[in-house]
Amino acid sequence: MFEIGRICMKTAGREAGRLCVVIAKEKEKDFVLITGPKAVTRVKRRKCNFRHLEPTPLKIEIKENATDEEIAAAYEKFDVLKKLNVRTITAGEAKEAKPKTEEAEERREEKKEEHKKEEKREEKHEHKAEHEKHEHKEAKEHEHKEHKEAKPKKTRAKKEKKE
Amino acid sequence: MPRRSQRSRSLRRLRIKTPGGRSVTHFSRRKNAAAKCAVCKKPLHGVPIARDAGMAKLSKSEKRPERPFGGNLCSSCSRREIKRRLIESAQ
Repeated sequence: MFEIGRICMKTAGREAGRLCVVIAKEKEKDFVLITGPKAVTRVKRRKCNFRHLEPTPLKIEIKENATDEEIAAAYEKFDVLKKLNVRTITAGEAKEAKPKTEEAEERREEKKEEHKKEEKREEKHEHKAEHEKHEHKEAKEHEHKEHKEAKPKKTRAKKEKKE
Repeated sequence: MPRRSQRSRSLRRLRIKTPGGRSVTHFSRRKNAAAKCAVCKKPLHGVPIARDAGMAKLSKSEKRPERPFGGNLCSSCSRREIKRRLIESAQ
């Protein structure tokens, strides 16, 4: 029943409800190697327990361990998706298929502009804060220097080292 | 006597012993019931039992299993449903 080329549907796991093809029989008991292929049905190439597969009446002609491209070509040749009447589109196609209305695009652009404005405001604030800190520091240093001019030379040497 | 807002039986009463040695009653909300399968009514796995804030902090994938009918049907019911739909569409 689960021979090479048999189209099945996964019934368990994250990929449940998606079509796949049996490519090879695994050495492990009860396991077969399946693939979507991923570009067509979003099922990755991996082994699967046949108890988690539901066979369909369709079978395509592929050789053992065929590549994903060959299998995709076989899908088109045998017209699998239409015969089984199952819609399996990739996530990328689903995103493209969503109609981008004008309103949505306008909103997106507005958001982008707002983001840019906020960034500019934040930069200005940071600049101001830095300036203030700088001025504060300079003022403090001035005061210190005036006080310490009377003291002996050791402190000046230390200050020079620091600076 | 508890204040009027605390007399509702949807609050549970806890007897708490304070460090001072007094016994006081605390009122707290009851815990939620476990989510059940829509068909067979068994408790669902992968769905946490938490109230408002506890659920709000979780991400979407932390609140249900990542599979078709996750959070709605149990695994056995969802497998049955997928097979049934495939067989029906083939006819």
